[in-house]
Amino acid sequence: MTNKLKRYEKIEFLGEGQFATVYKARDTETDNIVAVKKIKLGSRQEAQDGINRTALREIKLLQEINHKNLIGLLDVFGHMSNVSLVFDFMDTDLEIIIKDNTIILTTANIKSYVLQTLQGLEYLHLNWILHRDLKPNNLLVNSSGVLKIGDFGLAKLYGSPNRVNTHQVVTRWYRAPELLFGAKQYGTCIDMWAVGCILAELLLRVPLFPGESDLDQLTKIFSVFGNPTEENWPGVKALTDYVEFKTFNSIPLKTIFTAAADDLLNLIEGLLVLNPIKRKECAECLQMQFFSNKPAPTIGSKLPLPQSIRKIKENDRQSLKRKLLDAVDGGSLSKRLLF
Amino acid sequence: MDDFTCPRCRTSKFQNPSLKMMVNVCGHGLCESCVDLLFLKGSGACPECKIPLRRNNFRVQLFEDATVEKEVDIRKRVLRDFNKKEEDFNSLKEYNDYLEEVENIIFNLSNNIDIVNTNKKIEQYKRDNREQILKSKGKMGKDEYELEELLEIEKQMEEARKKEIQLEETEAKKKRIREKEALIDELMFSNVDAKNIVNTFTQQAQQTKEEKTKAPVPKVTKFSTGIQFGRANQASFLPVPTDEGPLYNYKPVTFPTDGPRPPIDQEIVEKGFIKHVRGETEVERAGGFRSNIACKRALQDALMGLFHSKKVSSVY
Repeated sequence: MTNKLKRYEKIEFLGEGQFATVYKARDTETDNIVAVKKIKLGSRQEAQDGINRTALREIKLLQEINHKNLIGLLDVFGHMSNVSLVFDFMDTDLEIIIKDNTIILTTANIKSYVLQTLQGLEYLHLNWILHRDLKPNNLLVNSSGVLKIGDFGLAKLYGSPNRVNTHQVVTRWYRAPELLFGAKQYGTCIDMWAVGCILAELLLRVPLFPGESDLDQLTKIFSVFGNPTEENWPGVKALTDYVEFKTFNSIPLKTIFTAAADDLLNLIEGLLVLNPIKRKECAECLQMQFFSNKPAPTIGSKLPLPQSIRKIKENDRQSLKRKLLDAVDGGSLSKRLLF
Repeated sequence: MDDFTCPRCRTSKFQNPSLKMMVNVCGHGLCESCVDLLFLKGSGACPECKIPLRRNNFRVQLFEDATVEKEVDIRKRVLRDFNKKEEDFNSLKEYNDYLEEVENIIFNLSNNIDIVNTNKKIEQYKRDNREQILKSKGKMGKDEYELEELLEIEKQMEEARKKEIQLEETEAKKKRIREKEALIDELMFSNVDAKNIVNTFTQQAQQTKEEKTKAPVPKVTKFSTGIQFGRANQASFLPVPTDEGPLYNYKPVTFPTDGPRPPIDQEIVEKGFIKHVRGETEVERAGGFRSNIACKRALQDALMGLFHSKKVSSVY
């Protein structure tokens, strides 16, 4: 265990979440840059339960999967009562990219992001795993333009008819209507709704349904798609938390996404369907016209990067240039003495 | 317009030279002070036709006949919705028919003929062509484009002309000064009769004046980069950036299962596997859960690894 502790050299502090702190570190064995997620102990009560539940979920599920669009769990090690997970290092995430207003996202860029998300998610769903917390913040992107789905703290196996799931999953803005109505049994459709919301956010650059409460969230959803009825969503009234809303009329998506082409609108329409049964699955989405049509998805190295990373890259280049210059002139100091 | 009187207060231009007539959508005029008085609250009824009006819709009357104002108003409003351009039609005849119809509507509205039906027609058109209207709102028609181009060319020509004139003036001034100096030099240093010198110089000046013919101003027809003005020669679009990756096409994901191929969705129903699983309840279905999901997973779990043999693992 101790050699593992030494194996990862801390470079800098990256961030802190509810359950963990994340550091950037160097793997001294392979010289790769990695992210080390140190799980917090939390309260005394939680600590008594043993290992943190979200960490356990991440370890359990991530150890079994391997896909280029899913975050890779490279190592797990413990020290005293702490557990640390070692992940691929990712430079940024979609939230930062969406919020960076110096970036212009073209259709090809968006296609590339959504394509990678869906490919990762398809693999996940085929392995009977629901992510349950898809949001731009959890779609990580590295500097070579590879998108990986991260944060499996809420992920869970699905498909068992007798196990009851909680509906308090997924960040509210990306939460599917059936979860808001308190469905205890659900399927892959909840992740698909979140993908739809993310796609919309990539286009609009602001969240599509920024609800302030669960009820407000439903109001925002219905103000676009109209109220659910027994015809378009059979059984909706039987859901535990169903409430009647004041009537809304649906508005065409074309008026919201004025710049989107028809193939893209079709994809959005396939993802954002109130009735979960009618919502399209990953494989169906990937076969839609939008992905095979032109423009082709941007290749990874051409995808835009946020300002902060661009700056770092430029600095790197400058220092390299200076080094080369130094080598040629024998250092900047002597150059100055030449006069 | 001098003998105009306000229909309400009977003030005429003669009594009050600063009288300003205002007009609203109904086409009935009122003087400015009456408007201020009647529409103190922002809205009110027209004193003549009792139509509810808003104060901020009042405009200064430009035409003597208030009904012309009314028609201008109506035309503006109708054309905001009927904003199709010639390019939107397949043939000139269709476009002309469309224009005819628009004129009919405007005429009907401004002459109070069949108002109800005409308004209905407009509403119907608006509903049918909502997208089209939105689309062409920002679009400039061909005519407007051409107009803009013409204006641009005109502006540039005028600038060029101005520059030319300025240049000429300074040139002429310089020349005059030079000639004067030459004359003075000649008078100072030559031994010829002063009268003769003056004569030859005046002759020379006259000659050059006659010779001077204005060189025609070269017309500016292209940008400094050499691209011609106008769109006539730009039939094709700008080149599309070519740094595109390959187009995507879908390949289904497959896993090695180390076992018999699990049944696909269709077989689960057709071969009766589904009968051995509890059917989903209404609530479960509404939540997006189907019993064939459970069935499929159970089957996959059961079949996976059945062919797994020690041989594979005995490699180690």
